[in-house]
Amino acid sequence: MSSNALKRIGFYLASFALLLLFFVPPVTAADSQLSVYVVNYPLKYFAERVGGEHVKVTFPVPGDEDPAYWTPNIATIGAYQQADLILLNGAGYAKWVDKVSLPRSKTVDTSRKFRNRLITVKETTTHSHGAAGQHAHENLAFTTWIDFSLATAQARAVAAAFTRKRPRFKADFEAGYGRLAQDLADLDRHIEKTVAGHQATPLIVSHPVYDYLVQRYGLNARSVHWEPDQRPMPGQIIELEKMLADHPAKWMVWEGKPLPAAVQLLVDLGVGSVVFDPCGNVPEGGDFLEIMQQNGANLKQIFE
Amino acid sequence: MIDSLYLAWKYLSFNKVKTVTLIACITLISFLPGALQLLLNESERQLMSRAVSTPLVVGAKGSALDLVMNSLYFDDEVPELISMSATDQVMDTDLALPIPLYVRFHVRNYPIVGTTLDYFEFRKLKIAHGRQIAVLGDCVVGAAAAKALNVEPGDSLVSSPQTLFDLAGIYPLKMKVTGILQKSHSPDDLGIFVDLKTAWVIQGLGHGHQDVTKISDQTLILKKTDENVAASAKLFHFQEITEKNIGTFHFHGDLSVYPVTAVIAVPYDPKSGTILQGRYLSKEAGEQIIKPRTVIDGLLENIFRIKNVLDAVISVVALATVMAIVLVFALSLRLRQREIETIFKLGCSRATIARLITAEILIIVIASAILNVLLMIPLHLYTNDLVRLLVIQ
Amino acid sequence: MLAIKDLKFHYPTGNFSLSLSDFSVAKGEKVAVIGPSGSGKTTLLNLVSGITPFVQGEIKVGEYAINELADAQRRDFRICNIGFVFQEFELIDYLNVHDNILHPYRINAALTLDQNVRARAAALAKSMGLGDKLKRAISKLSHGEKQRTAICRALLPIPRLILADEATGNLDPENKTRILDLLFEAVAEHKATLLAVTHDHELLNKFDRVIDFRDFQVEEAA
Repeated sequence: MSSNALKRIGFYLASFALLLLFFVPPVTAADSQLSVYVVNYPLKYFAERVGGEHVKVTFPVPGDEDPAYWTPNIATIGAYQQADLILLNGAGYAKWVDKVSLPRSKTVDTSRKFRNRLITVKETTTHSHGAAGQHAHENLAFTTWIDFSLATAQARAVAAAFTRKRPRFKADFEAGYGRLAQDLADLDRHIEKTVAGHQATPLIVSHPVYDYLVQRYGLNARSVHWEPDQRPMPGQIIELEKMLADHPAKWMVWEGKPLPAAVQLLVDLGVGSVVFDPCGNVPEGGDFLEIMQQNGANLKQIFE
Repeated sequence: MIDSLYLAWKYLSFNKVKTVTLIACITLISFLPGALQLLLNESERQLMSRAVSTPLVVGAKGSALDLVMNSLYFDDEVPELISMSATDQVMDTDLALPIPLYVRFHVRNYPIVGTTLDYFEFRKLKIAHGRQIAVLGDCVVGAAAAKALNVEPGDSLVSSPQTLFDLAGIYPLKMKVTGILQKSHSPDDLGIFVDLKTAWVIQGLGHGHQDVTKISDQTLILKKTDENVAASAKLFHFQEITEKNIGTFHFHGDLSVYPVTAVIAVPYDPKSGTILQGRYLSKEAGEQIIKPRTVIDGLLENIFRIKNVLDAVISVVALATVMAIVLVFALSLRLRQREIETIFKLGCSRATIARLITAEILIIVIASAILNVLLMIPLHLYTNDLVRLLVIQ
Repeated sequence: MLAIKDLKFHYPTGNFSLSLSDFSVAKGEKVAVIGPSGSGKTTLLNLVSGITPFVQGEIKVGEYAINELADAQRRDFRICNIGFVFQEFELIDYLNVHDNILHPYRINAALTLDQNVRARAAALAKSMGLGDKLKRAISKLSHGEKQRTAICRALLPIPRLILADEATGNLDPENKTRILDLLFEAVAEHKATLLAVTHDHELLNKFDRVIDFRDFQVEEAA
């Protein structure tokens, strides 16, 4: 075969390859999997339920850190900046968000739609200096998702954001959202039923993270600052005793499984322990729904 | 013709002063209109390309021109401020992507542009070296500003105080240069880009300081109650945001009332743009929405009106110059009458004499043209800056 | 070499007329023309060289009948055959000595400037004592050097007829003799013919023949 013939064949092959380039539909941006970064586990769960196969959700917070107080390093911030969509919890959750630059067009504050329903908690001390006048460090309570109606609204915001980015899959997102909303509504109804008639029952919460739960179901709760993995200090016990004097609670609600010593200590005071895990980070077993169902079951002990 | 050119060259180089004067005159008179046109074209291009690529700007009611000049070209004239809620309002309409801008502070003469990351994508600005801004206190620097300020990623820049006796706010903030932008041949080359929140820190709206409840220096505390600690303005503020102190940086009050100079609104589609404009028409609020294109069209119209006057002046001057040059040639021919007679006697034709004169004119014109080009080269190289200097600022 | 027959000439506007019935100069002859101012000596040179056209009579330079030549031909004839030496030298001040000598080659296509000509120009200048002054500006030359440059310019195209109009007019006596000797040497060397208008009666004895214009019929109109 002459070199000329070889060249000609080469030319045909190249032309054919070029034609292929034109005819094989490339994977367009409008179809590709959405890269979604989230700031807590509930949003990861919502995003995965709503987005299904169309999204790839990344939640870069290590399992042993509280996402609310975690701070990403520069590389992780870069990864967030590169995402197609960044889902924020809002309500001041994840303080680091205020100190980094995220593209606004890709950032969705899932609690923005119900910002008038957010609960303000006063910090102990305000401060003022300079010309700016007095400014309280007022904070919002941020564990919004344990009010399942708010959780539904957050899931709704997630679905809307997905639909805006990938309109073609609107039906899939709506279906995913529909199923999730149903599950959340079941949870909501279940807890409502559990609590019904017993709202006045006094109880203690180990940490001030239950504001939305308390508000939603009209509970009579007061908060201390006890950590499930720490032995309570004598001062804390005195504080609790004082509280019990005019708030005769029989139960304390914990964020996680408390130390047996703490449980025993409470038993001595006539207070039982139940766990209601807000599930801010990925649970060791089960998923968001299972944990919440377990939480609901745990609450039953109080209100029976 | 070579011989004629040679003789013409000899004549011209012998009469240096006259030749140089002629060349200078012709160069100047031909350079001026060209240069003017170039500058105007460049300013039109710069103004227009920027205006066309910026669909809508929301800002305080008042001078639309100030608003456009500040938000598109980072002009020093700061328009009246609007609040951050204007951004949220645009966002909530679902009609356009809002990109807030806070162009108020400077590092020397270079504007600090407080904005969001969307600005970079919107303007298609790419990082040449280093990385994008990530945390509070980071900045990326436009190519020209980086060159002028001689900074590289890892260096730092200090924001300039607004006035000498600025006691209330505007602490000079030491910012970390994290990246240098690729040259974009636009005002962005001169900008120092920070996150909006960093701009607010520069203004003193957000700050980091020691925990007031743990201050050991009691002179700093004015009044302390269980609920409130009032600290004096002397309270030490961090002037640099570092990994160690970033945790202490906080913003007071509601971020939605924080100031911005403008919000660029990028409509999701043309129809949304029209609807958005309509919403501001009916609004009683203090904000206006403008189409930079319209504002710049008006500005250019004025510039071109001035240009027409200048053109007329230049034409008259050019005519006078040409007449003077003709006169110079006529006089020099008369002065050379004897020389012409001599060469005529030697056997030179009138056509050759005409050729000699033509060669002289040719050399002068070509020299002027070359000079013109030589002048145009630096002009071309610096039009960008010249336009900023002469037209935009 | 030069033959004039029945020439009658008068300027259309002027009151001067010249009439020459028979005048000739042989090849290699050195002829001086004398006469009072206004007697038509310069006019004769202009007629012979074809600068001033005429209608009546005949002038022949070699085989060329001047009045039968067209304008362009007359110019080509002049630059190739006539060497002019002027009283005021008429050098071009913006050209150096070398360029002045080469000048005729640059103003008429009938002469072609090549390496040969350049070499000849250099040799000629050297023989005239200008060998080291070729690059010099005209303004830096002495009177004698200027005239020698002018003679070089006249001789370079190897003319058959050299017309000198008061070529020694402005020189001091010593220079006059030297220049005239140079001119004569050059004429002899190039086997040219010389027709020189002069006022310097003391130099007349060097010429082969002297023509006094008072001998011709020069009519002064009333």
